[in-house]
Amino acid sequence: MKNFFIILIMKLLNIGLKICGKHGGNFLGKIAYDWNPNIFKYFKVNSPVIAVTATNGKTMTNNAIGYVLKTAGKKVVSNTEGNNMETGILSTILKNCTLTGKIKADYLVFEVDEGYVPVVFKDFPLDTLVVLDFFRDQLDRNGEVESLILKINEFLKTYTGNLVLNNDDPNVARLGKANPDNKNVYYFSAEKYDFATTEQKEAGEGKFCPFCKTRLEYEYYQYSHIGKFKCPNCGYGDNPIYKLATNIDLKNRTFKVDDVTYKIRFNSIYNIYNLLAVITCVSLYSIDTKIIKEALSKFVLNNGRLEEVKVRGIPTIINLAKNPTGSNVSLRILNEDDEEKELLFVLNDNIADGFDVSWIWDINFDNLNNVSRIVTSGTRAYDIAIRIKTSGYDASKIEPYLDLHDAVENLYKTNVKKYVIANYTALQPTRKELKL
Amino acid sequence: MKELNILYLYPDILELYGDYGNIQVLKYRLEKRGIKAIVTPYSIGDAIPNFKDYDLVFAGGGADQEQSILAKDLIKYKDNIKDAIDQGVFFLLICGAYQLFGKYYKGVEGNIIPGLDIFPYYTEAINDRKKRCIGNVVIDVDLNGKGTKVIGFGNHGGQTYDITTPFGKVLFGNGNKFGDDNEGFFLKNVIATYLHGPLLSKNPELADYIIKYCLDRKYNEDTILDSLDDTFENLCRKQLLNRFLNNN
Repeated sequence: MKNFFIILIMKLLNIGLKICGKHGGNFLGKIAYDWNPNIFKYFKVNSPVIAVTATNGKTMTNNAIGYVLKTAGKKVVSNTEGNNMETGILSTILKNCTLTGKIKADYLVFEVDEGYVPVVFKDFPLDTLVVLDFFRDQLDRNGEVESLILKINEFLKTYTGNLVLNNDDPNVARLGKANPDNKNVYYFSAEKYDFATTEQKEAGEGKFCPFCKTRLEYEYYQYSHIGKFKCPNCGYGDNPIYKLATNIDLKNRTFKVDDVTYKIRFNSIYNIYNLLAVITCVSLYSIDTKIIKEALSKFVLNNGRLEEVKVRGIPTIINLAKNPTGSNVSLRILNEDDEEKELLFVLNDNIADGFDVSWIWDINFDNLNNVSRIVTSGTRAYDIAIRIKTSGYDASKIEPYLDLHDAVENLYKTNVKKYVIANYTALQPTRKELKL
Repeated sequence: MKELNILYLYPDILELYGDYGNIQVLKYRLEKRGIKAIVTPYSIGDAIPNFKDYDLVFAGGGADQEQSILAKDLIKYKDNIKDAIDQGVFFLLICGAYQLFGKYYKGVEGNIIPGLDIFPYYTEAINDRKKRCIGNVVIDVDLNGKGTKVIGFGNHGGQTYDITTPFGKVLFGNGNKFGDDNEGFFLKNVIATYLHGPLLSKNPELADYIIKYCLDRKYNEDTILDSLDDTFENLCRKQLLNRFLNNN
């Protein structure tokens, strides 16, 4: 009975919030969870629950899975706004359930923060878990990557649902061995793309075999520590691949899986992996390839995740980068583009960003391709300016402005194409300043 | 052309907090002055380095798990390293490396990772895994009689005891322990500290102190370093010191 009232009150609150024009975010879930931490048990779920977790790419992959399923005519309930902790997921459920806790949908699709997978799915059914990657991310807030992986590994020891894993990330593929009795493990992998290297170019994790501690050997690195690896001692990494991306062509934005060519709206290797995870996941639910193809050809995100726009008539590409790998992916896209461009880097050190900005030294600023000027801003505008200068970029072409408005005004003094990289709390203020 | 030989220990393992930036800053400040920086990496499996042959030895911080792997490797070179320190080779040790040069590191479960036992301090983790000294730090440091403020970022669970010659006096943030007045360990040719940032990126005076020490020793002279354009560094220091010390 208690849960019935919690849901009733939350529904009323939600109506109240809507009247006030407020979205609510984690708010409803927070109150409900504080009231009854076991509330997840109460819901009656008759449809498959799909969850996506990773350091980078959760929002994009989650939203793309939802988009494909919707294109196939399914009713999807999903936390598309990125509220990915237990309270955010609970808020999404509360808004979409009946008073008796029934959730009416064909699919529930959630992005889940890496640390919260065991919390949310302790008492809530899970049909498919998709794991994309693990990178260092806000170490002062999250702690070391290894402890997060161990938590998920522990959870997976008794899990028997579908597990979709990136076989090119040694820290992800290892999760496939957490429960030897789980026959539903599906690995995806991507063939070498044009800018893959034999030496690691950017900071990464997973240097040692998680099972025998031998140094891993790589045939190639796509970016960071993502690539084709194998343990020379115990053979770890040699998994059967369920979906393999081939013929990756970033210029034409196409790649192939099972002889089907997918045309997409993104041009980075990082997104190929995300969308490959989407294809792998939805294929488990027998979604028609034609529909997947059509959906992926249209899918875009307009929230500063590789957003391509025109600002004051000037082509501008905006990307969120809250950790070294996110930034390095952005710089890869910038460097793979031969056109002249200017870069704006906005770096904040607010609570949600992590106070520690040392991670910017793990960003590879070497040999920037045809970048004629760099403007920096945010509460750590000078830190990032020093970082870029030390990489060898001409200091006289770097302009730091603590004030974001000044930075944007000065950036748009020229007509050159712009790339904008902003970290977590910097992203929305930057988009606002760009009038998006 | 003058040159400095830098030995960079375990660059692929002790690289969690951007500490490599210290090498980049040193290289940048040397090359701007026409001095060559030769950086030699050493990691597990490489040929044994002769520490005495270098002017500067650098090591950073890493993940706990990986740190125990390399502790076993490093301990093989104890005498070699001690020799180099006695002869005046400069050692810059950050975070995990700082701990490794002491007597031991005692983990949360009571497990002991033996250190090199070159310096008399030791480190013990706090029982609560979630409690760490995390945050911005400002310390007052005396470099050859000249006072300077050093800005960095600390992130360590280990509490380091028995420091007789600290690197600096804490003005803001945590030191060797929670609420400690002292930060790091300092000898003429050794700086061991918890400060990331990376340490040298916002502290050009400190970077130049190390460079001058190494050049003076190598070329047996009183080197006068050319001044560099530190506009960004100075603006950054002014902004952050004002924010941390004056709350602005």
